[in-house]
Amino acid sequence: MTLHRSGQIFDPRAHRLLAGCTEFAQSPQTLVRDDGVRVYFSTRSADADGRYRSHPAYVDFDADLRTMRSVSTHEVVPLGVLGTFDEHGIFPLNVLRVGSEVRGYTTGWNRRVSVSVDTGIGLVLSHDGGDTFHRVGDGPVLGPSLHEPMLVCDGFVLEAGGHYHMFYIFGQRWVRETPDAPPDRVYKIAHTTSVDGLNWAPSGGRTILPDRLGANECQALPSVVWHEGRYHMAFCYRDAHGFRHDPARAYRLGYAWSDDLTAWTRDDAVMDMAPEAGAWDFDMQCYPHLFVHQGNLKMMYNGNAFGRCGFGLAQVVP
Amino acid sequence: MFIWRKLGRVFDPGAVAGRPWLHAFAQAPASLQRDGALRMYFSCRPPADAEGQFVSYSAWVDLDPANPMRVLRMADAPILTLGELGTFDEFGTYPVSVIPHEDEVWAYYGGWTRCRSVPFNVAIGLAVSRDGGSSFERRGAGPVIGYSPDEPFVMSGPKIRRFGDLYYMFYIAGRSWKMADGRAEPVYRIRMATSPDGLHWNKHGRDLIPLRLEADEAQASPDVHFFGGRYHMFFCYRYSTGYRGHERGYRIGYAHSTDLLQWQRDDDRAGLQPSETGWDSEMVSYPHVFMSNGETYMAYLGNGVGREGFGLAVLESRS
Repeated sequence: MTLHRSGQIFDPRAHRLLAGCTEFAQSPQTLVRDDGVRVYFSTRSADADGRYRSHPAYVDFDADLRTMRSVSTHEVVPLGVLGTFDEHGIFPLNVLRVGSEVRGYTTGWNRRVSVSVDTGIGLVLSHDGGDTFHRVGDGPVLGPSLHEPMLVCDGFVLEAGGHYHMFYIFGQRWVRETPDAPPDRVYKIAHTTSVDGLNWAPSGGRTILPDRLGANECQALPSVVWHEGRYHMAFCYRDAHGFRHDPARAYRLGYAWSDDLTAWTRDDAVMDMAPEAGAWDFDMQCYPHLFVHQGNLKMMYNGNAFGRCGFGLAQVVP
Repeated sequence: MFIWRKLGRVFDPGAVAGRPWLHAFAQAPASLQRDGALRMYFSCRPPADAEGQFVSYSAWVDLDPANPMRVLRMADAPILTLGELGTFDEFGTYPVSVIPHEDEVWAYYGGWTRCRSVPFNVAIGLAVSRDGGSSFERRGAGPVIGYSPDEPFVMSGPKIRRFGDLYYMFYIAGRSWKMADGRAEPVYRIRMATSPDGLHWNKHGRDLIPLRLEADEAQASPDVHFFGGRYHMFFCYRYSTGYRGHERGYRIGYAHSTDLLQWQRDDDRAGLQPSETGWDSEMVSYPHVFMSNGETYMAYLGNGVGREGFGLAVLESRS
């Protein structure tokens, strides 16, 4: 199995978005509909002090995944109130259709003093087909716990075997590259289940993928789908330090497969898409999202600068 | 009605020398009785840093079980270090509540971190002692009771109890942050969770104590004991703003229950008011009731919510 790049399909700089956002369309996540595909993403506004806030938005594509029908300009998910876990941003938003409802699993961001941020996974519901969402409560459905002490985020939920399965990440520690450097986070992918999609127990700090870059490898944004007899996972991974500006240490895409959602075999070679030098996704590839569309396994993902210039599409070739 | 006779202040942190981490405050007294000894845990602070910010530690004094006004011994060091960079308890371990657990002692505590938009957040941690409760190590780097949709922040003031086959945790959970005079103040309520093992907790999900003062009344220190066929809770409550003086500061309230779920609030029976003068004249707060040598005592805080230490009252009668 290999992946072929189909090119960039959305550039936020060409659109008017909510909250005066002009750049960033991060972590594309699909809601496949009868007549096309809605792609949620998070864009960013900047506070007076330069700190970013992420806001969910969406773009509706025709079934060709090329023809854009409309781009949201309204508040899809309001940010949290003062002192809540998602006060300073929501990124990403993972959506799941359950009956007539669309559920959204959010990652909420809140700013800290000794480190930059902490996060939690929230639940929001839509009763208008995914145009707007309201939160089930002011707090997270999965947050820091005894052995997952920080940075619980990037929830991706699917239904299988009568349960809801969540793949997500948790922080293990903050580390500094040099004594004077600002702290960088280290996080790993984990898996847990729920009977109702609302009550989640943490996995207890159990990682599910081997590290490729050593103990401080950062693994992020798992996305899992069933296709042709097995489960496929796309994710991204990077070095703990220097990842913002050094392409050699930046996010790359990873891949793993499983028969039972529990035991995973990592095989990152599947994701080797060999972009040409200078391409929109040459320096960095991150925030992948696998989905099945018209019987085919496809993937959306971000390129350089964490998706500042939007996202693209790739096709899986058996 | 509970009739209490005040015995005075037991412990004044201002009188302690040679312990820079115990510069001021002795907050939230909580007892441990084990092998005939009476140990009282409390929380304290070193001087504020250059920005006026405090960290908090917890420690203990051993009291004479026959005369708990007498301090026998004091901890040489905090019972627990502060948490690692970026963890929930990096800036404070306050308050603490302890319980024997097989041959260990388990401590549940509020872990404090610092935030940008509001001054702090708190979650409940667990630490374990294998030396009889003198020093503790955290069970994990994260909280044992954290945030959830209807308990979104400021999970603090844990009080651990065991009734029957279950562990019970009484604590406070933040409801909202309210801006008053340019300062964010948390509004919180008393809540409960149960656990078969002390590690996995099921939140009860309802406020236990109805409001008395105002819609944003703050309630804290839910201290439960069983006596005479029912459960008794002493707690403290105050106005949400302007509470740093006598008028709107902490008072001690009371409620009773037969099932731990439904509570009848009846503050008039609590029976412990601020004094006319002295260390507890402005406010009284953070009650903790314990029994020793056949007597029932309440440990509590006075002015400045424990800035000047904690005192004791002994129960003369209850009806």
